[in-house]
Amino acid sequence: MGKNADVDKVLIVIPAYNEADNIEKVINEIKKDINYADILVINDCSKDNTEEIVRKNGVKCINNIFNMRYAWAVQTGIKYAYQNGYDYVIQMDADGQHIASEAEKLYKEIKKTNADIVIGSRYLVDTGYPCPLFRRIGTKLFEIIIRLFTHKKIADPLSGFQCLNRDVIEYYSKVGNYPEFPDANLIMEMLFKGYKITETPVKMRLRETGESMHGGFIKPIKYMIKQFYECVVLVVKYFGKRRIKR
Amino acid sequence: MKRIYFIVLAALVIIYMIVSIRKNKLSVTNSFFWILFCICMLVLSIFPKSLDWLAKLVGITYPPALFLTIAAVILFILNFIHSKKIEVLNKKVTDLAQELSVVKEKVNEKK
Repeated sequence: MGKNADVDKVLIVIPAYNEADNIEKVINEIKKDINYADILVINDCSKDNTEEIVRKNGVKCINNIFNMRYAWAVQTGIKYAYQNGYDYVIQMDADGQHIASEAEKLYKEIKKTNADIVIGSRYLVDTGYPCPLFRRIGTKLFEIIIRLFTHKKIADPLSGFQCLNRDVIEYYSKVGNYPEFPDANLIMEMLFKGYKITETPVKMRLRETGESMHGGFIKPIKYMIKQFYECVVLVVKYFGKRRIKR
Repeated sequence: MKRIYFIVLAALVIIYMIVSIRKNKLSVTNSFFWILFCICMLVLSIFPKSLDWLAKLVGITYPPALFLTIAAVILFILNFIHSKKIEVLNKKVTDLAQELSVVKEKVNEKK
């Protein structure tokens, strides 16, 4: 398991917090549609029986010893991938938003383009994704910021559906300042550092059950402010620096 | 009388700092600012006129304002240093926890 015909080791990292209702469906989809990849669920101290369901399905499950929140749960998975010699990591959400068959598109794209990161984009072409207006505005804003400062168009900088190559796996697992929300800011930083990032259009669904980490009224606003602030700091940090990959 | 009260207070705080250092409850590096603060307090209690002189020197007409300004600056710097330290500690704790989680899973796999 974990190897495709080209003997690449692929790991699908799924951070999960209280996703007992969705996780089994996600796992089954992955097993069916991208069966050469290993699956790793990072159980971020769920209060429900997420771990039990994951183990019942014969999938590896890392239990964080305290709730680290989304970003650091993902980083735990990336560290595991690095230590176990995986060539590619595909980040997927446990809420069923990301579709397993689309994950393969990311993997194929990273192989084809030899990019460091491939982002699954909802907005590159019209995929019919019913995006809330506030999120759409935010996405557009960060797309403009990234294009302004890195001259690279990233249509969906807030997408967590990504495929990373070994270089990025190594970088993310060793970096000390992995951000709390690894979205537009992290993409911008990687572009500043000279990593090659491409996008591929993917379909996504809306979550069926459970609560999103960006739910409510205050959380999205806080998220946008933090993202914006981090982008500004990055512009200052990398001002005048040459973009050479490490 | 007020002067004696402040001298005693400053001396007591210095003694408390020294005892804390001796009992390893406060590191020498972390105690630096507090000790400096206490020594300043002690000097000002023994020579209260020195505050007037200092205030005149920097052009502040109301000497207690100088004392409060210096105190605010010191507390601001301390707060900043502590914020940085908390950030470093947070990263280390997260690193350790992630490493522990991964190792636990590896042990599980080998069972």
